[in-house]
Amino acid sequence: MAAVPSTVEASQEFLISELPEQSSLGQDAWRRLKRNRLAVVGLVIIAIFFVTALISIVWTPYPTWRQALGTTYAGPSLLHPLGLDDYGRDILSRVMGGAAIALGVGVGASFLASLTGIILGMLAGFFKGKVDALISLTINIFYGVPDLLVALILVVLIGRGLFNIILAIALTGWLGMARLVRGQTLSIREREYVEAARTIGTPNLMILSRHILPNALGPIIVQATYLVPAAIIFEAFLSLLGLGIPPPSPSWGRMASEGYKALQIAPHIVLAPCAALSLTVLAFNWLGDGLRDAIDPRMRR
Amino acid sequence: MSRGTLVYAAQRLVLITVTAVVVSSIVFIGIHQLPGNALASERRNNPATEAALLHHYNLDLPWPQQYVLWVQGLAHGDMGESLVNMGVQITPLLLREARVSVTLGLAAVLITIGVGLTLGTIAAIRQNTWVDYVASTSAVVGYSVPSFVWAFLLILLTVSGFYAWTGGLVYENIGWGKIEQIPVPALALGLPYAAIVARLTRASMLEVIRQDYVRTAWAKGLKARVVILRHSLRNALIPVISILGPLVTGIITGSVVIEYIFGIPGLGQEFVSSILSRDYNIVIGVFTFYAVLIGLANLAVDLIYPVLDPRIRY
Amino acid sequence: MRAVDGISFDVDRGEIVGVVGESGSGKTMTALSLLRLVPEPGKITGRILYGENDVLEMTDDEIREFRGNEVAMIFQDPMTSMNPVLRVGFQIEEAMAAHRRFTGQQARDRVVPMLQRVRIPAAKERIKDFPHQFSGGMRQRAMIAMGVSNEPSLLIADEPTTALDVTVQASIIELLRDISRELRAAVILITHNMALVASLCNRVIVMYAGRIVEQGPTRAIFKNPQHPYTWSLLRSMPRMDEVGKERLVSIRGVPPDLGKLPTGCKFHPRCRFKVDRCLTEEPPLAEVDPEQLARCWVLMKNVPNPEMQS
Ligand code: SF4
Repeated sequence: MAAVPSTVEASQEFLISELPEQSSLGQDAWRRLKRNRLAVVGLVIIAIFFVTALISIVWTPYPTWRQALGTTYAGPSLLHPLGLDDYGRDILSRVMGGAAIALGVGVGASFLASLTGIILGMLAGFFKGKVDALISLTINIFYGVPDLLVALILVVLIGRGLFNIILAIALTGWLGMARLVRGQTLSIREREYVEAARTIGTPNLMILSRHILPNALGPIIVQATYLVPAAIIFEAFLSLLGLGIPPPSPSWGRMASEGYKALQIAPHIVLAPCAALSLTVLAFNWLGDGLRDAIDPRMRR
Repeated sequence: MSRGTLVYAAQRLVLITVTAVVVSSIVFIGIHQLPGNALASERRNNPATEAALLHHYNLDLPWPQQYVLWVQGLAHGDMGESLVNMGVQITPLLLREARVSVTLGLAAVLITIGVGLTLGTIAAIRQNTWVDYVASTSAVVGYSVPSFVWAFLLILLTVSGFYAWTGGLVYENIGWGKIEQIPVPALALGLPYAAIVARLTRASMLEVIRQDYVRTAWAKGLKARVVILRHSLRNALIPVISILGPLVTGIITGSVVIEYIFGIPGLGQEFVSSILSRDYNIVIGVFTFYAVLIGLANLAVDLIYPVLDPRIRY
Repeated sequence: MRAVDGISFDVDRGEIVGVVGESGSGKTMTALSLLRLVPEPGKITGRILYGENDVLEMTDDEIREFRGNEVAMIFQDPMTSMNPVLRVGFQIEEAMAAHRRFTGQQARDRVVPMLQRVRIPAAKERIKDFPHQFSGGMRQRAMIAMGVSNEPSLLIADEPTTALDVTVQASIIELLRDISRELRAAVILITHNMALVASLCNRVIVMYAGRIVEQGPTRAIFKNPQHPYTWSLLRSMPRMDEVGKERLVSIRGVPPDLGKLPTGCKFHPRCRFKVDRCLTEEPPLAEVDPEQLARCWVLMKNVPNPEMQS
């Protein structure tokens, strides 16, 4: 009788193919991300806005603050592709300048909030006990209060500079990240390799930075990406209510708020910054969705 | 409602009260470290008036003493007097404004849930068809467009749009006070969250319609409508409910902006104008109100759980 | 990829037919396709005849009336097969109310008797319970009550005891047997448990790779299995007289990958008795005895001393 493939051989093959390939995890995710059309579109839009923001720092078609460039409320024309606002300022220039503020606030606040959330989340998840109780209590109290109101008070307290705005947004934005990292840390610290590291006396800081952080990085990146559009919307809220970065800085939210009184007669003043804002947020959400699917394909439904 | 549920609700009410006091205390203490308040402008006029005013508001006392007095007042439901409009009692003012905000908020929640569930369910049962594709894409767009942008778009559409289309017959301006003025701001407030609910519902439904008990329901020969509504959507709702808490917080946040844009005399509008005029007594009051509202909304969500899922008991 | 290919068999009223085979042999798919319940992205092509009617040609209303009324099904895992948020009594009532056989009032009145019939104690009180308040065995009883509530002509039980505790398996089997007698319904029992088949079924159908490889009366099959696969299945079965020193001989090799089936006889990669012809030509399902059919070129009766060969 000819030999038939035995079960043992087959199961060995199975094991080999199941071995995790740590090194290529990032590359794998990147490959999956590149295949996601919406994520790529999002990435391109974000890149365009970033370049625009950088350019606007050194050059805009007209100075963003210069008034009376032509008839106030003038609609789009060759000289002013997006028209002029109620003071006769060039809207295209101001939308460009607004990109720098939006992206600066978005990325800055996301970074600061993530940093806070990661540190507090890891502390809570790793040391458990009293540390966890204290941090979790803080998170829960903050969750019971509308974040915008806290930010508004903070802005009144500490002033309305760019950095203060970032700070105020970050101070209300770290909760979600802290929760996520805490959960991740709680589960990762029970894994065998962490146990092993602990038994051979690896210092806590080393365990946190070598084992826990790298393993929680995927969800952290996704969460941090989602924080950017949230912060951008938040800044727009503050500016809209008149408590954002002070004029004449061209914040999108402020532009919308200033144009609002002329919404019926010159809708372009409001629509231009609103479109820029929505497009940016949409791009970041697409990228975030793509990242989430790429980093953890199991979460895809 | 079982005894356990009642006990649970009672405990939660106590907790809400405690949270409200803690939160407002933090704000109280924080704000009293600030130099200056609404009365600062009076200083230039007349030192005597200023002293009288400070005394009237107990502001001449050291702040720990002020705090004790304030907590005593709060215990009686008295949040003090407006710093800007002397003689205006804050509690009745805010109660009146809370009615407005809650009306708007509830309308927005209804829109959120109605639109979200419908879209999410349709997308799930038509998975991977163009219907699903359109619904899913518009969901991402929906929550990427912030509420105030929706507000501007809807105002453009309804106010001037309706006016033009009906040849001047229908002209409904924005504002508050008439029933017809509720839908537009509620829609603006609810749409971004409706998109989130739609997305969650779709994911949850896709999970549920693969469950064994849904197969059982089909195998029983039930009508498609019954299988989808009674045996799938109802179960799919359970995870969706969990975002109602954050959603209510989000809607409150959004309502601050929406009230401001539409000139709706609610808590949010009051908060913004008070903080700009430094009427800190009102600021603290609104904060306390919101903390209670959020607490109550979360409690309501928790009480819905056991109704939807009999496995949950308190 | 074909899960099932060219299956055809009869079941008489009052008869229990066992369908056996390893997991992945297409047993469940056969049952689900009869009710047009094959899960996405599965597709059924060809014809599925139930008597004269093609199930695939039925309108939505017809198939709805067919499911649960003409053919009812009991699933493997009673833990997941009942809706956790609806009361047990309601789920049974709803099965009856969905069809024209009973009015709404009749359906409501029949719930308690149905539960009593499947021997659920204190049925009157328990109809108000939710599934999680039932034990696994109780839930399967309730599922059986649901299945037979419309007095279907055919009842399909898919591994009805596999997910249950060993201690309650016997009582569920007993219940199934009694119920099928009382109702004079035809029952198809899908299982991989040969011992269960031996104790319950009148006839056996053995499936492999989506095909029937052998069928016949239970006694004949157990005494004289003709297909090498049936023979191995029986050999791997723990014998009643050997309980305790349980020898679990599983059939060597792996169940076939339905995506890339071998040529010729689908069993040949695992068959110890194969001949050259088996590699190229698929044998037909041919009569070996007046009531027994087998799909094999060799047949076990032609193998002297099968135990010695390996
Ligand atoms: S036909 Fe050949 S390979 Fe197939 S079961 Fe019979 S002997 Fe084995």
